[in-house]
Amino acid sequence: MDKLKEIAKRAVEDYGFRQIAQWSPDDLVDQWGLSDDEAQVLKGPLKDEIDQLPVPVEPADYVVVENRLNALIEESLS
Amino acid sequence: MPGRLQNKVALVTGGASGIGRAAALRFAREGAKVMIADRNAALSQVTLDELREITPHAAAVPVDVSKTDQVQRMVDETTSRFGGLDILVNAAGVLLLSPALAEIDERDWDLMMNTNLRGLFLCTKFAIPEMEKSGGGAIVNISSMAGISAYARSLPYAVSKAGVIHFTLGAASQYTSKGIRINCIAPGTVDTPQARGSSGSADALRKIAETHPMGRIGSPEDIADAILFLASDEASYISGETIIVDGGSRTLPPNI
Repeated sequence: MDKLKEIAKRAVEDYGFRQIAQWSPDDLVDQWGLSDDEAQVLKGPLKDEIDQLPVPVEPADYVVVENRLNALIEESLS
Repeated sequence: MPGRLQNKVALVTGGASGIGRAAALRFAREGAKVMIADRNAALSQVTLDELREITPHAAAVPVDVSKTDQVQRMVDETTSRFGGLDILVNAAGVLLLSPALAEIDERDWDLMMNTNLRGLFLCTKFAIPEMEKSGGGAIVNISSMAGISAYARSLPYAVSKAGVIHFTLGAASQYTSKGIRINCIAPGTVDTPQARGSSGSADALRKIAETHPMGRIGSPEDIADAILFLASDEASYISGETIIVDGGSRTLPPNI
Protein backbone atom coordinates (compact mmCIF):
# COMPACT_ATOMS: atom_id res chain seq x y z
CA MET A 1 0.00 0.00 0.00
CA ASP A 2 2.84 2.37 0.78
CA LYS A 3 4.30 1.94 -2.70
CA LEU A 4 0.97 2.80 -4.25
CA LYS A 5 0.65 5.88 -2.07
CA GLU A 6 4.11 6.99 -3.15
CA ILE A 7 3.16 6.49 -6.78
CA ALA A 8 0.01 8.54 -6.22
CA LYS A 9 2.02 11.31 -4.59
CA ARG A 10 4.44 11.39 -7.50
CA ALA A 11 1.55 11.45 -9.96
CA VAL A 12 0.14 14.51 -8.22
CA GLU A 13 3.40 16.43 -8.02
CA ASP A 14 5.13 15.41 -11.26
CA TYR A 15 3.16 15.51 -14.50
CA GLY A 16 5.68 13.35 -16.36
CA PHE A 17 5.38 10.64 -13.76
CA ARG A 18 1.63 10.99 -13.90
CA GLN A 19 1.71 10.19 -17.61
CA ILE A 20 3.63 7.00 -16.91
CA ALA A 21 1.06 6.00 -14.28
CA GLN A 22 -1.78 6.72 -16.67
CA TRP A 23 -0.49 5.23 -19.88
CA SER A 24 2.30 2.79 -19.00
CA PRO A 25 1.21 1.41 -15.64
CA ASP A 26 2.78 -1.97 -16.31
CA ASP A 27 6.19 -0.29 -16.25
CA LEU A 28 5.47 0.89 -12.72
CA VAL A 29 4.05 -2.48 -11.68
CA ASP A 30 7.33 -4.10 -12.73
CA GLN A 31 9.65 -1.40 -11.44
CA TRP A 32 8.00 -0.96 -8.09
CA GLY A 33 7.16 -4.62 -7.55
CA LEU A 34 3.47 -4.02 -6.99
CA SER A 35 1.22 -6.89 -5.95
CA ASP A 36 -1.63 -8.01 -8.20
CA ASP A 37 -4.11 -6.17 -5.99
CA GLU A 38 -2.05 -2.98 -6.05
CA ALA A 39 -1.71 -3.25 -9.83
CA GLN A 40 -5.46 -3.49 -10.20
CA VAL A 41 -5.98 -0.40 -8.09
CA LEU A 42 -3.34 1.49 -10.08
CA LYS A 43 -4.94 0.61 -13.40
CA GLY A 44 -8.51 1.02 -12.15
CA PRO A 45 -9.82 3.43 -9.53
CA LEU A 46 -6.54 5.27 -9.03
CA LYS A 47 -6.13 5.89 -12.76
CA ASP A 48 -9.70 7.13 -12.95
CA GLU A 49 -8.89 9.72 -10.28
CA ILE A 50 -5.53 10.66 -11.74
CA ASP A 51 -7.17 11.20 -15.14
CA GLN A 52 -9.26 13.96 -13.57
CA LEU A 53 -6.38 15.92 -12.02
CA PRO A 54 -5.68 19.41 -13.33
CA VAL A 55 -2.42 20.17 -15.17
CA PRO A 56 -0.56 21.00 -13.03
CA VAL A 57 -1.90 20.38 -9.56
CA GLU A 58 -1.01 23.58 -7.76
CA PRO A 59 1.40 23.06 -4.82
CA ALA A 60 -1.13 24.53 -2.41
CA ASP A 61 -3.48 21.68 -3.32
CA TYR A 62 -1.02 18.81 -2.96
CA VAL A 63 -2.01 17.77 0.55
CA VAL A 64 -5.75 17.75 -0.10
CA VAL A 65 -5.42 15.82 -3.35
CA GLU A 66 -2.91 13.33 -1.95
CA ASN A 67 -5.08 12.69 1.10
CA ARG A 68 -8.01 11.99 -1.19
CA LEU A 69 -5.99 9.53 -3.26
CA ASN A 70 -4.59 7.87 -0.14
CA ALA A 71 -8.10 7.32 1.17
CA LEU A 72 -9.09 5.82 -2.18
CA ILE A 73 -6.12 3.46 -2.07
CA GLU A 74 -6.88 2.36 1.48
CA GLU A 75 -10.51 1.77 0.64
CA SER A 76 -9.69 -0.11 -2.54
CA LEU A 77 -7.19 -2.42 -0.84
CA SER A 78 -9.23 -3.07 2.32
CA MET B 1 -2.16 24.45 -55.20
CA PRO B 2 -0.42 21.33 -53.84
CA GLY B 3 0.83 21.44 -50.28
CA ARG B 4 4.44 21.27 -49.27
CA LEU B 5 3.99 17.64 -48.25
CA GLN B 6 1.41 16.64 -50.84
CA ASN B 7 0.73 12.89 -50.71
CA LYS B 8 3.66 12.25 -48.40
CA VAL B 9 3.04 9.70 -45.66
CA ALA B 10 3.98 11.02 -42.24
CA LEU B 11 4.14 9.19 -38.93
CA VAL B 12 4.19 11.39 -35.83
CA THR B 13 4.90 9.83 -32.46
CA GLY B 14 3.59 11.71 -29.47
CA GLY B 15 1.06 12.99 -31.98
CA ALA B 16 -1.89 13.31 -29.65
CA SER B 17 -0.79 16.48 -27.90
CA GLY B 18 1.71 19.29 -27.74
CA ILE B 19 4.38 19.56 -30.40
CA GLY B 20 3.45 16.25 -32.02
CA ARG B 21 -0.17 17.27 -32.39
CA ALA B 22 0.77 20.64 -33.88
CA ALA B 23 3.10 18.95 -36.37
CA ALA B 24 0.45 16.44 -37.37
CA LEU B 25 -2.12 19.18 -38.00
CA ARG B 26 0.43 21.26 -39.94
CA PHE B 27 1.36 18.28 -42.06
CA ALA B 28 -2.26 17.51 -42.82
CA ARG B 29 -2.83 21.09 -43.98
CA GLU B 30 0.15 20.66 -46.31
CA GLY B 31 -1.37 17.62 -47.99
CA ALA B 32 0.29 14.79 -46.08
CA LYS B 33 -1.33 11.54 -45.09
CA VAL B 34 -0.85 11.45 -41.34
CA MET B 35 -0.63 8.66 -38.81
CA ILE B 36 -0.44 9.80 -35.20
CA ALA B 37 0.97 7.41 -32.64
CA ASP B 38 0.56 7.94 -28.94
CA ARG B 39 0.03 5.92 -25.78
CA ASN B 40 -2.89 8.15 -24.82
CA ALA B 41 -5.59 6.56 -26.95
CA ALA B 42 -8.35 8.86 -25.73
CA LEU B 43 -6.46 12.03 -26.57
CA SER B 44 -5.37 10.49 -29.88
CA GLN B 45 -9.02 10.21 -30.85
CA VAL B 46 -9.56 13.89 -30.12
CA THR B 47 -6.61 14.86 -32.30
CA LEU B 48 -7.67 12.40 -34.99
CA ASP B 49 -11.07 14.08 -35.12
CA GLU B 50 -9.29 17.40 -35.69
CA LEU B 51 -7.13 15.88 -38.41
CA ARG B 52 -10.15 14.44 -40.19
CA GLU B 53 -11.64 17.88 -40.46
CA ILE B 54 -8.62 18.65 -42.65
CA THR B 55 -8.10 15.39 -44.52
CA PRO B 56 -9.66 11.95 -44.82
CA HIS B 57 -6.12 10.54 -44.92
CA ALA B 58 -5.48 10.43 -41.19
CA ALA B 59 -5.36 7.64 -38.65
CA ALA B 60 -4.15 6.89 -35.16
CA VAL B 61 -2.39 3.95 -33.60
CA PRO B 62 -1.75 3.37 -29.90
CA VAL B 63 1.90 2.90 -29.04
CA ASP B 64 4.35 2.89 -26.19
CA VAL B 65 7.50 3.73 -28.12
CA SER B 66 9.69 1.88 -25.62
CA LYS B 67 8.11 -1.45 -26.60
CA THR B 68 9.58 -3.16 -29.64
CA ASP B 69 6.48 -5.09 -30.65
CA GLN B 70 4.29 -2.01 -30.43
CA VAL B 71 6.67 0.08 -32.51
CA GLN B 72 6.88 -2.62 -35.15
CA ARG B 73 3.10 -2.74 -35.30
CA MET B 74 2.91 1.07 -35.50
CA VAL B 75 5.13 1.15 -38.57
CA ASP B 76 3.35 -1.82 -40.14
CA GLU B 77 -0.05 -0.20 -39.69
CA THR B 78 1.21 3.03 -41.20
CA THR B 79 2.62 1.42 -44.31
CA SER B 80 -0.29 -0.95 -44.82
CA ARG B 81 -2.81 1.86 -44.45
CA PHE B 82 -1.06 4.54 -46.50
CA GLY B 83 1.21 2.53 -48.78
CA GLY B 84 4.62 3.60 -47.49
CA LEU B 85 6.42 5.93 -45.14
CA ASP B 86 8.13 9.17 -46.13
CA ILE B 87 8.37 11.18 -42.92
CA LEU B 88 8.88 10.27 -39.29
CA VAL B 89 8.62 12.79 -36.49
CA ASN B 90 9.96 11.45 -33.21
CA ALA B 91 8.07 13.70 -30.81
CA ALA B 92 7.20 11.19 -28.09
CA GLY B 93 8.99 12.01 -24.87
CA VAL B 94 8.58 12.31 -21.16
CA LEU B 95 10.02 14.59 -18.51
CA LEU B 96 10.15 13.50 -14.89
CA LEU B 97 11.40 16.03 -12.40
CA SER B 98 14.48 14.86 -10.57
CA PRO B 99 16.41 15.76 -7.45
CA ALA B 100 20.18 16.25 -7.48
CA LEU B 101 22.19 13.48 -9.11
CA ALA B 102 23.05 11.51 -5.98
CA GLU B 103 19.37 11.24 -5.08
CA ILE B 104 18.02 10.31 -8.51
CA ASP B 105 15.94 7.14 -8.46
CA GLU B 106 17.29 4.60 -10.95
CA ARG B 107 13.70 3.78 -11.90
CA ASP B 108 13.13 7.35 -13.03
CA TRP B 109 16.35 7.29 -15.02
CA ASP B 110 15.17 4.14 -16.81
CA LEU B 111 11.71 5.52 -17.51
CA MET B 112 13.09 8.60 -19.22
CA MET B 113 15.77 6.77 -21.15
CA ASN B 114 13.28 4.12 -22.25
CA THR B 115 10.92 6.63 -23.81
CA ASN B 116 13.24 9.40 -24.89
CA LEU B 117 16.14 7.37 -26.26
CA ARG B 118 15.13 3.73 -26.62
CA GLY B 119 11.84 4.88 -28.12
CA LEU B 120 13.63 7.16 -30.55
CA PHE B 121 15.95 4.33 -31.52
CA LEU B 122 13.14 1.82 -32.05
CA CYS B 123 10.94 4.12 -34.10
CA THR B 124 13.85 5.09 -36.32
CA LYS B 125 15.09 1.51 -36.61
CA PHE B 126 11.76 0.26 -37.92
CA ALA B 127 10.99 3.31 -40.06
CA ILE B 128 14.25 3.36 -42.00
CA PRO B 129 13.72 0.12 -43.96
CA GLU B 130 10.34 1.41 -45.11
CA MET B 131 11.90 4.69 -46.24
CA GLU B 132 14.64 2.83 -48.07
CA LYS B 133 11.99 0.93 -50.01
CA SER B 134 10.64 4.18 -51.41
CA GLY B 135 14.05 5.68 -52.10
CA GLY B 136 14.38 7.99 -49.13
CA GLY B 137 12.63 10.05 -46.52
CA ALA B 138 12.96 12.59 -43.78
CA ILE B 139 13.18 12.09 -40.03
CA VAL B 140 12.79 14.92 -37.55
CA ASN B 141 13.73 14.27 -33.95
CA ILE B 142 12.60 16.47 -31.09
CA SER B 143 15.33 17.24 -28.60
CA SER B 144 15.28 20.18 -26.19
CA MET B 145 17.37 23.10 -25.09
CA ALA B 146 17.78 20.95 -21.99
CA GLY B 147 19.96 18.73 -24.17
CA ILE B 148 22.27 21.63 -24.95
CA SER B 149 22.38 23.68 -21.76
CA ALA B 150 22.53 22.46 -18.19
CA TYR B 151 19.06 21.64 -16.90
CA ALA B 152 19.02 21.19 -13.16
CA ARG B 153 15.38 20.18 -12.86
CA SER B 154 16.00 16.82 -14.50
CA LEU B 155 19.45 15.55 -15.33
CA PRO B 156 18.14 12.32 -16.87
CA TYR B 157 15.87 14.28 -19.19
CA ALA B 158 18.72 16.57 -20.19
CA VAL B 159 21.03 13.65 -20.86
CA SER B 160 18.38 11.87 -22.90
CA LYS B 161 17.78 14.98 -24.99
CA ALA B 162 21.51 15.43 -25.53
CA GLY B 163 21.44 11.85 -26.73
CA VAL B 164 18.75 12.72 -29.24
CA ILE B 165 21.09 15.28 -30.80
CA HIS B 166 23.95 12.84 -31.07
CA PHE B 167 21.65 10.09 -32.28
CA THR B 168 20.57 12.44 -35.06
CA LEU B 169 24.14 13.09 -36.11
CA GLY B 170 25.14 9.44 -36.03
CA ALA B 171 22.04 8.22 -37.84
CA ALA B 172 22.45 10.91 -40.48
CA SER B 173 26.04 9.80 -41.04
CA GLN B 174 24.74 6.35 -41.90
CA TYR B 175 21.64 7.11 -43.94
CA THR B 176 21.99 10.49 -45.65
CA SER B 177 23.77 8.78 -48.54
CA LYS B 178 20.72 6.53 -48.88
CA GLY B 179 18.36 9.45 -49.31
CA ILE B 180 17.14 9.66 -45.75
CA ARG B 181 17.67 13.05 -44.15
CA ILE B 182 17.72 12.99 -40.38
CA ASN B 183 17.51 16.24 -38.46
CA CYS B 184 16.63 17.51 -35.04
CA ILE B 185 14.96 20.45 -33.36
CA ALA B 186 15.86 21.70 -29.91
CA PRO B 187 12.94 23.75 -28.64
CA GLY B 188 13.11 26.10 -25.69
CA THR B 189 10.17 26.32 -23.35
CA VAL B 190 6.99 25.57 -25.27
CA ASP B 191 3.43 25.82 -24.04
CA THR B 192 2.56 22.14 -24.00
CA PRO B 193 0.75 20.00 -21.44
CA GLN B 194 4.17 18.62 -20.48
CA ALA B 195 5.61 22.09 -19.87
CA ARG B 196 2.55 23.23 -17.96
CA GLY B 197 2.55 20.07 -15.92
CA SER B 198 6.24 20.21 -15.13
CA SER B 199 6.42 23.90 -14.36
CA GLY B 200 5.18 23.30 -10.83
CA SER B 201 2.42 25.87 -11.14
CA ALA B 202 0.68 28.01 -13.72
CA ASP B 203 2.39 31.03 -12.19
CA ALA B 204 5.86 29.57 -12.80
CA LEU B 205 5.23 29.28 -16.53
CA ARG B 206 3.95 32.86 -16.65
CA LYS B 207 7.17 34.05 -15.02
CA ILE B 208 9.25 32.26 -17.65
CA ALA B 209 7.27 34.07 -20.33
CA GLU B 210 7.75 37.43 -18.63
CA THR B 211 11.55 37.12 -18.76
CA HIS B 212 11.66 35.78 -22.31
CA PRO B 213 13.19 38.09 -24.96
CA MET B 214 9.97 37.85 -26.96
CA GLY B 215 7.75 38.21 -23.94
CA ARG B 216 6.24 34.81 -24.47
CA ILE B 217 7.18 31.18 -24.50
CA GLY B 218 6.96 29.18 -27.70
CA SER B 219 3.79 27.67 -29.04
CA PRO B 220 3.61 24.14 -30.40
CA GLU B 221 2.86 25.74 -33.75
CA ASP B 222 6.19 27.61 -33.64
CA ILE B 223 7.95 24.28 -33.41
CA ALA B 224 5.67 22.65 -35.98
CA ASP B 225 6.72 25.27 -38.52
CA ALA B 226 10.35 24.24 -38.07
CA ILE B 227 9.45 20.56 -38.22
CA LEU B 228 7.57 21.16 -41.46
CA PHE B 229 10.59 22.89 -42.94
CA LEU B 230 12.93 20.03 -42.08
CA ALA B 231 10.45 17.43 -43.31
CA SER B 232 9.85 19.21 -46.61
CA ASP B 233 11.90 19.36 -49.78
CA GLU B 234 12.86 22.91 -48.84
CA ALA B 235 15.39 21.29 -46.50
CA SER B 236 16.63 18.86 -49.13
CA TYR B 237 20.27 19.83 -48.52
CA ILE B 238 20.10 19.63 -44.72
CA SER B 239 20.89 16.47 -42.77
CA GLY B 240 22.43 15.72 -39.39
CA GLU B 241 21.54 19.22 -38.22
CA THR B 242 20.00 20.41 -34.97
CA ILE B 243 18.06 23.64 -35.18
CA ILE B 244 17.44 25.58 -31.99
CA VAL B 245 13.95 27.08 -31.83
CA ASP B 246 13.84 29.00 -28.57
CA GLY B 247 12.76 32.49 -29.54
CA GLY B 248 16.20 33.86 -28.75
CA SER B 249 16.33 32.70 -25.14
CA ARG B 250 20.07 32.17 -25.42
CA THR B 251 20.54 35.85 -26.13
CA LEU B 252 19.71 36.60 -22.52
CA PRO B 253 22.72 37.47 -20.34
CA PRO B 254 23.69 34.76 -17.88
CA ASN B 255 21.82 35.00 -14.61
CA ILE B 256 24.74 35.33 -12.18
